[in-house]
Amino acid sequence: MTAAFSVHGLCKRYDAFALQDITLELPEGSIMGLVGVNGAGKTTLLRLLTGLAAADAGSVVVHGLRLPEQQVEAKRSIGFASEDMRLYRKMSLDWHMRFIAQIYPTWDADYAAALLRRFDLRSSQAVGEYSHGQRVKALLLLSLARRPRLLLLDEPTTGLDPVARVEVLEALAEVLRDERRSVLFSSHNTHDIEQLADSIAFLHGGRLVAHADKERFFDQWRRLLGLGPVGLKLEGFPEIASIRAAGSQVEIKVRSWQADLPARLSKEGVEVQRIDPMTLEDIFVTSVRAGGQL
Amino acid sequence: MKLECNLPVIRLLVQKDWQLFQKQLAAYVLAAFVALTLLGLAKPWSFYLGSLLLIVILVAVACFAISTSLLVERKEQTLAFVMSLPVSPLDFTLAKLAGNLLTFGVPFVVILGGTLAVILGTPLPNGLVVLAVLVFGHVLLAYSASLAVAMHVESEGWNTFVMIASMVLINPFLMAIGQIEEIAGPTQGDVIVWSSAALMILGAQVLLSVVAIVFVAWRHGRRAAFY
Amino acid sequence: MSDQLFLSAGDPRPMYQQIIDQITTRILAGDWSPSQALPSIRELAASSGVSVITVKRAYEELERAGLIQTRQGKGSVVTERHDLARTALEGGRGEPSDAVALHGERSGLDGTRLGGRFQAFLDGLEAPRKPAAKNKGMNKSMSKRGSKT
Repeated sequence: MTAAFSVHGLCKRYDAFALQDITLELPEGSIMGLVGVNGAGKTTLLRLLTGLAAADAGSVVVHGLRLPEQQVEAKRSIGFASEDMRLYRKMSLDWHMRFIAQIYPTWDADYAAALLRRFDLRSSQAVGEYSHGQRVKALLLLSLARRPRLLLLDEPTTGLDPVARVEVLEALAEVLRDERRSVLFSSHNTHDIEQLADSIAFLHGGRLVAHADKERFFDQWRRLLGLGPVGLKLEGFPEIASIRAAGSQVEIKVRSWQADLPARLSKEGVEVQRIDPMTLEDIFVTSVRAGGQL
Repeated sequence: MKLECNLPVIRLLVQKDWQLFQKQLAAYVLAAFVALTLLGLAKPWSFYLGSLLLIVILVAVACFAISTSLLVERKEQTLAFVMSLPVSPLDFTLAKLAGNLLTFGVPFVVILGGTLAVILGTPLPNGLVVLAVLVFGHVLLAYSASLAVAMHVESEGWNTFVMIASMVLINPFLMAIGQIEEIAGPTQGDVIVWSSAALMILGAQVLLSVVAIVFVAWRHGRRAAFY
Repeated sequence: MSDQLFLSAGDPRPMYQQIIDQITTRILAGDWSPSQALPSIRELAASSGVSVITVKRAYEELERAGLIQTRQGKGSVVTERHDLARTALEGGRGEPSDAVALHGERSGLDGTRLGGRFQAFLDGLEAPRKPAAKNKGMNKSMSKRGSKT
């Protein structure tokens, strides 16, 4: 299996922030979701992956090309759109499409026209008159219609209304018809990632806290609801990420579920009533509150 | 680092800058012709008004070229868009310099040519040519210095300061060369006198302009990444 | 925060049902004793992060099941045990009330355990219940909350 990108031992220091020792690989033909709070390092990682920033240590390889040395070659097959990226306000989307089409020989005019209809954009209008959602869609259109082998998207759904969001997610999912194409996208919206991603990378405080297939996250995390003595203290349960009690009601969230846990808990006086899977959002918030440990 | 550059994309980026600003630049050139007409009338009041207007337009063209292609690009975050294209920092720097030299250079040369034509073709004393060329030389130097700073420093405050300060210096510059008899004297006559003082000043202006731009190109071109 | 409920989107039950089940659990566990005031609908909505209408629906169902009583302008209280007992007994000819049965079913307690729990609960009706130490603590924290708001 070839990798769309692979980074190894990546470090990048800024004044107030450092990305530390990131090792991560995206197999071709898959979608990876990048989760993390603001300032976790998502944008820095994406900049390193596009060769815009040079790492202090470690290596970045995209489609077998080293970055940032071979960034020109690598960027031909990368579609990058980030939240802080803007188009030329006074120019129309038509003008932008012609501009991009001249640079990338892979530009697909038919696909661009289809995306225009799907995103409901007026291409003759100056981009400066677009709403936020239309701007995001225009930027995505420019990235998608040249059919890059690797799409790197920083917050592609942030600020979109639900209809636009679904359109964008559907367009992203379509990318995977071609098994050589891959996507890495970051999002605050864990539902998007839950829906679309094959694997999830979780950044916290500049470190890669976890990276696994999505299903593994859901298999490992459980929320337990039960009855317990007031003032319950549980020690010797390293798998417990959070415990909350209100009166006799106890809620426990575990990061690595084992079937024998209810039995072990009952020795501590906890009577487990329910065992439920957790949403990615719940998993994410719980682990951030627990100090970023997954 | 290899010194290969991506010429097709550089050409597209330059073309893009030109397309973005061509309307405004045409307007500046048009305004310059109004100023030159005033100059050409060769009446004291119209000469004064025309030359003032011409200097204002030159300064405006210089500031406009720099701020639209560099400062606005940074502020409006279209820079991120350009950097995501298949370009290296060297390509990007060269494209920016070329684009700027074009957006500034074309109106600059047109206006310079027009000015010389007006001086030579009207009753204005031909000796003014030297003074006019030195004024253009100053604007070129101020522009190059501002361009170098704009490419190098992100702070908008510093950029504005350098732009305004260097352009405003044209006033003391005019007063200073007015004190130099070899330059000031022949401006009333019909003979163009290239004194050694005038040539030295012009040479210094051109040399410093080239140094500023080459320095910036070298500093930025050898970076491996944008950030 | 003793009147907080733990609601989860990962739980397949709808939110109002989670509220019903947790309040039932806590009344049966003795966290909220008879005639004790329940948190107001707004307070519970705020502390648990759900909409007022959802909590309201849960309270209405709990009232229908006879576990709580709501008086206009005075909020809701846990039903007096006699009332509850009557509800329970009348409701199913000596069988546990709907609410209790519901609770057992949803909370996954097995039949014998629930039976025992319910029996103990009925037993408690005869003799005046000695407030357990933990309930004291509960009440204290409840009243502390009350004085704050």
